[in-house]
Amino acid sequence: MSLSFILRRLGYGVLLIFGVVVLNFLLIRLAPGDPAVVIAGEMGGATEEILDRIREDYGLNQPLTTQLAIYVGNVLQGDLGQSFFFNQPVSRLIAQRIGPTILLVLTAQVLSILLGVFLGVIASRKPNGPASAFVSIFATIGYAVPVFWTGIMLIILFASVVPIFPIEGIQSVRLRDAPLLVRGLDIAHHLVLPAFTLAVVYLAQYARLSRASMLDVLGSDYIRTARAKGGSERAILFKHALRNAALPILTIAGMQFGNLISGALLVETVFNWPGIGRLAFDSILRRDYPTIMGVLFFASAAVVVANILTDLSYRWADPRLREQ
Amino acid sequence: MKQPTAETAPAAAGDPATAQRVESPAREAWRMFSRNVPALLGVFLLALVLLATLYGKLFYGGDPFEIVWAPYEPPLTTPSVPLGTDYLGRDIVAGLLTGGAPTLTVGASAALITMVIGISLGSLAGYYGGWVDNLLMRITEFFQVLPALLFAMVLVTLFSPSLWTIAIAIGVVSWPQTARLTRAEFLRIKELEYVTAARAIGARNRRIIWKVILPNAAPPLIVSATLTIGVAVLFEAGLSFLGLGDPNVMSWGLMIGANRDYMLDAWWPVTFPGLAIFVTVFAVSLIGDGLNDALNPKLRGR
Amino acid sequence: MTPLLEIDNLRVTFDTRHGMVTALDSVSLHLNAGETLGVVGESGCGKSITALSVMGLIPQPPGRIAGGSIRLNGEDLVGAEPARLRSLRGSDVAMIFQEPMTSLNPVLRCGDQIAEAVMLHQNVDSARASRLAVELLDRVGIPAPAQRARDYPHQLSGGMRQRVMIAMAVSCRPKVLVADEPTTALDVTVQAQIFDLLNEIQRDVGAAILLITHDMGAISEMADRVAVMYAGRVVEQGKADDVLDHAEHPYTRGLIDCIPALGRRDDTLREIPGVVPPLHLLGDGCAFASRCAHADRRCLAQKPVLTKWRHHPVACHAVEEGRI
Ligand SMILES: Nc1ncnc2c1ncn2[C@@H]1O[C@H](COP(=O)(O)OP(=O)(O)OP(=O)(O)O)[C@@H](O)[C@H]1O
Ligand SMILES: [Mg+2]
Repeated sequence: MSLSFILRRLGYGVLLIFGVVVLNFLLIRLAPGDPAVVIAGEMGGATEEILDRIREDYGLNQPLTTQLAIYVGNVLQGDLGQSFFFNQPVSRLIAQRIGPTILLVLTAQVLSILLGVFLGVIASRKPNGPASAFVSIFATIGYAVPVFWTGIMLIILFASVVPIFPIEGIQSVRLRDAPLLVRGLDIAHHLVLPAFTLAVVYLAQYARLSRASMLDVLGSDYIRTARAKGGSERAILFKHALRNAALPILTIAGMQFGNLISGALLVETVFNWPGIGRLAFDSILRRDYPTIMGVLFFASAAVVVANILTDLSYRWADPRLREQ
Repeated sequence: MKQPTAETAPAAAGDPATAQRVESPAREAWRMFSRNVPALLGVFLLALVLLATLYGKLFYGGDPFEIVWAPYEPPLTTPSVPLGTDYLGRDIVAGLLTGGAPTLTVGASAALITMVIGISLGSLAGYYGGWVDNLLMRITEFFQVLPALLFAMVLVTLFSPSLWTIAIAIGVVSWPQTARLTRAEFLRIKELEYVTAARAIGARNRRIIWKVILPNAAPPLIVSATLTIGVAVLFEAGLSFLGLGDPNVMSWGLMIGANRDYMLDAWWPVTFPGLAIFVTVFAVSLIGDGLNDALNPKLRGR
Repeated sequence: MTPLLEIDNLRVTFDTRHGMVTALDSVSLHLNAGETLGVVGESGCGKSITALSVMGLIPQPPGRIAGGSIRLNGEDLVGAEPARLRSLRGSDVAMIFQEPMTSLNPVLRCGDQIAEAVMLHQNVDSARASRLAVELLDRVGIPAPAQRARDYPHQLSGGMRQRVMIAMAVSCRPKVLVADEPTTALDVTVQAQIFDLLNEIQRDVGAAILLITHDMGAISEMADRVAVMYAGRVVEQGKADDVLDHAEHPYTRGLIDCIPALGRRDDTLREIPGVVPPLHLLGDGCAFASRCAHADRRCLAQKPVLTKWRHHPVACHAVEEGRI
């Protein structure tokens, strides 16, 4: 993989993120009403004073291109605006909440890929067997269950029937000042239900995808060659088949990242998980546009980064693409 | 001993491809679909949901917003509120029967919008290639970068929630997948002989796109349209759950969202609407899978 | 002397959407140590299925060996334990496949794929196996073998890949080498090189070759004996020279007429009219009857059996009745 390819890919990523900034800018202007009022949000009747300050800050009295330049300039300096509801800079709001979201999303992603691929590989061994039937039924169910409802059902289950996992928040109040290890375990304990809820949807999809991908690969000529060598079923499955079957799974994993963030938004809301999804929900209820836009910007940028990483690892994993 | 009949001998001598295709593809697809038990279950469930939503009110009247009983009445205890009441004492059955309408309407119209945008852009990109393709694909990639639900939330909040805004917002965030699929199909089909033939006899581009390529790209698009309905229903439910639906219309997602704070006191007001959403999407995706099996020639046995 | 490999009355069926079809019917072949048996026939005649049966690689389901036996040194492979088959595959019987482009695993290095075959059947460590792989690549005429061993399959040309396949197949000095149309996918000049290589290897290793092809020309150059297949049955069998000089079956004659050098020397490209009927449309009569100039009522009604005729066994009513 050449450096110039990586640079090109990064450059394109930057362009996409710039696009998001412009989109954000346009959305505020396209929304019905005075942009200053929109930006101020529903603060219970923003005073003229505040509105004037906003007009000043965002250059709302100047031509649109100047406004855009000001906006882009601000974003470049890490200034995503001021949240009037939280009365804090948006970038700080996001910085405070990014950790929990990354933790949740990555855990769910890893969980769903590992379990999903495992199920899919088992199912692919016998395309008409019970495991295969289970995977397809489970995948259809997992796909059809609204993720927020899964969360609610789990909360009801674990609140009253088997109260072994905490059902909201990220840590227990009484353990706030405990040693690091204890706090870590506490967070992991809190993470179980939200991560599992979020993972279920994608787990089902990965299971189905890896079953299909494995079946495809297992029917290919090179698997027949591996069999003709006298390889064991295990070597064929893991050494020859899975490596090839993993390529489409990797692609989907990258494409799912945006959906995962959308899902995290609902899951964080249900489980009161203090991440940027929860922040988006809170700010939308308050019509706190700078914060909403900041979250949209940030989440999109995260998707761009995830896509670049996927793209690079895909090229690294598939020798046919490696030297291009 | 069997004499060679018209069925065996000449067919054996002729082209094996034509000899095997004794029925039209559409008929064969229908035959496969009608033998697919899960798909039929999907049709049955969806019909049930549609009938309940369309005609339920005729048999079970009642305003879903009206307070008709004491709050938290458990299900199966009081005949006049069979599935109980919510935290305000509103009838859950009434909510279920009316709450499907917005979800299904938005689901169907959002899927329609998705397909229209996706197919138009995808076919242009795939057919013309070159800079058109390049431009359209960059736009598609841009829209795929935006986390769909979040973007839909922003749109709905900025442009005040109504069924239309919601449907459009869902359409705007969902079309990239359809566009890519359409483009891929167009890229594949436009290289086939019959398209070259159509071009050779001087058919115009519009005609080739609409009359020659699109019909042949239909099978995967039909499947995708079906699955898009399921996705759109989930979207609408999610938005309503977050309180971003039309506040004046009772919907399944709204029922869950409104009763969420009291879910530990009463499980039923949040459980039944969720089941309704699940059954709807489940039915739609069973149908989608069935259509896929029936229409995807790759899966047909030799 | 009992033959090295003896296929007796083999019958292979497939479940298809047209019901059960018989892909091989009463196929009997034998292969003596060190000799080359050619199997010819048009596409779809069951040549690959025969080869895969020998390897124990018929995809099951939908395939099934419904009857007959395949004996290697007197040991029946049809009912053999999977573990026993695995240990024979690649060591005693090895196979070269039709498609060099798809028969090598795209994500593994060529050298590693050969080394894997070595390690599966010989008690050597991986470093030694890698060295053996390079030696083998050298042996099959690949220039700069140490570098090529580190290449991935897509970096090699079709001819080179087929050489890699051959290196892999002969790595454990098999007694039987099944070559399923080893040159079909290659250029004419490369075809000749590959055949030369196979001849050399055969001298080296002393393997018996089951050479599958639809090219009568290759038969005349390579094979000691030949079996002609049509629609899953052997229709003519004998010494290669004998069959080429005194072809009896109208199908064999048709195949010979297709080779310009051996057939009539006019300029028209000849081919047998019509195509092989699909298996599910095979009736009670001779499968070739619909394409045969000599067919009569009996041919349409009754299957001819392979019986020794003037020079060698033929399955044809017309030959039997002296009509040809
Ligand atoms: N998996 C399968 N399911 C059903 N039928 C099959 C299957 N594999 C092979 N067949 C059938 O078995 C017959 C013989 O196939 P085979 O691959 O042996 O042909 P072949 O002589 O090797 O032809 P070619 O020259 O094209 O390689 C064909 O008619 C084919 O349709
Ligand atoms: Mg073959």
